[in-house]
Amino acid sequence: MKSVALLAALVVVYAALLLPFTRHLRQRPFLEKVGYLPQPFILQTLAADQRYAMAAGLIFNVLAYYGTLVEKNLFGADIPPDHSTMQTTLITASRLDPYNMDIYYFAQSMAWNSNKIREITELLEYGMRYRDWDFYLPFFAGFNSAYFLKDYAAAAPHFATAARLSGSDLFTRLASRYMYEAGQTGLAIDYLTAMIQSSKNEAIKKTFQTRYAALLEVRRIEQARDVFRQKTGRLPKSIVELQDAGVLAPPPGDPYGGEFYLEPDGTVRTTSKFANPSQDNQ
Amino acid sequence: MIKIVGITFQGVLRDKVFHGILLVAGLFLFIPSASAFSMRQVPQLAITLSLSLTSFLLLLLAVFLGGTSLWKDVERRYTHSVLGGTPISRASYVLGKYSGVSLFVMATAFLLGVLSLAAIWFAAMAYPPDRPLLWLNILIAVFFDALKYVLLVAVAFLLSTVSTSFFLPIFGTIATFLAGSATQNVYDYLQTPQGEQLSAGVKAAALFFYYMLPNFSAFDLKANAIYSLPLDPGGLLLTFAYAAVYIAILLSSASLLFTRRELQ
Repeated sequence: MKSVALLAALVVVYAALLLPFTRHLRQRPFLEKVGYLPQPFILQTLAADQRYAMAAGLIFNVLAYYGTLVEKNLFGADIPPDHSTMQTTLITASRLDPYNMDIYYFAQSMAWNSNKIREITELLEYGMRYRDWDFYLPFFAGFNSAYFLKDYAAAAPHFATAARLSGSDLFTRLASRYMYEAGQTGLAIDYLTAMIQSSKNEAIKKTFQTRYAALLEVRRIEQARDVFRQKTGRLPKSIVELQDAGVLAPPPGDPYGGEFYLEPDGTVRTTSKFANPSQDNQ
Repeated sequence: MIKIVGITFQGVLRDKVFHGILLVAGLFLFIPSASAFSMRQVPQLAITLSLSLTSFLLLLLAVFLGGTSLWKDVERRYTHSVLGGTPISRASYVLGKYSGVSLFVMATAFLLGVLSLAAIWFAAMAYPPDRPLLWLNILIAVFFDALKYVLLVAVAFLLSTVSTSFFLPIFGTIATFLAGSATQNVYDYLQTPQGEQLSAGVKAAALFFYYMLPNFSAFDLKANAIYSLPLDPGGLLLTFAYAAVYIAILLSSASLLFTRRELQ
């Protein structure tokens, strides 16, 4: 009888522990959750023939972490993602399974909010050595080189490779557009359209859609600015001036919660910098 | 000897280890839904998980059946009564036991292969792949995985013939598996500029183990199966021949050692 009572007491203690224990595990920083990863060579060696499954597990960790964060931020939380650990985890996963497309796709989805565009592009170039049939990787690398790094000479051959692999003239157009250093916003909209169409993960799709909505507004302001300049022969001083001149209606809205403004050279900017306040931005 | 093969096969079927492994095989049911977590390659993730689970289950079988089959018979003095009361030689006995276990590993691989194909098919139906799946590659990958574990069973038998407890066959087989899976990586590292800076002694030791231990990485065709990469028929043939010769050497040594062993 005594032992049954002891067992029952232990079960009650266990049940009481479960809630704070689970909360503790959920709130652990991502670096602790994913653990300190050893060098890829050591992991490769230890993983034996389970390296592909191990890579899938690492990607799942990153995805689950990011998905939870996006959900929390949608409901008003303001938690900055740990881009550095996510990126290190993805690079390690790529050394375990260099063919895995999820790695490159997810790394690219971080491009806008990460300040490590060169590293992401290098990761894509590493993947291109293996996935030599896949037009997405040169497409992403070309976009990063052109849009973020303004390195048009590096972008053009990537777009040419994407055009060759896909048989689509979209990339040929992108390549030529970038040879003329024009249409930044248009290129980004084309890129995001392709990404949204091919996106299956809801968390990532939402980040693309928000960015897409913001860029559509930027393009609308740019078009209004150009109309204004044609009419008056000078650049507008502010967004309000465009509205007063009747070339911009309805007023533009920034889905990130900021306010659009014009630089003296006419470039459209926003106070949100196209990111949640806590996130880094390009 | 054929009788021993049959008895071993039936014995394994009744073994609790096998029943436990069958239970774990129920995880195949969850593979199609687990694969949906992938963003861009659902069928490929289904293949990855299926082949990984297959490989893991075959590893358990190879280690526990290979490591305990012969040892159990010696421990329970079955060998004493069988070898004492029948004209079966000790070498035939070892070969018969080995063939029974290997046949069982192959049959389980076939069953797991069928389950894998079903799981992959479901995932591919729900999320059609960008590149066509090469079903033959998947089957060949499962076959070579099974061949790898048949070789590992031979390692376990060799260790069983010299051991008086199950520790050496079980842990020795696991250690051989881990080391044999890593040697190619180490060998490749030796060819890099960093590897060339290692001392001559370390390099010689690494090369010794590279040539002595079974090279299991040759049997890993998962990338070809998952990403529909072309297979090299010449390479497959060489790997098959490598396994056949290596198994023959291990079994000859095991028979020789078991023949000279003092059985109580």
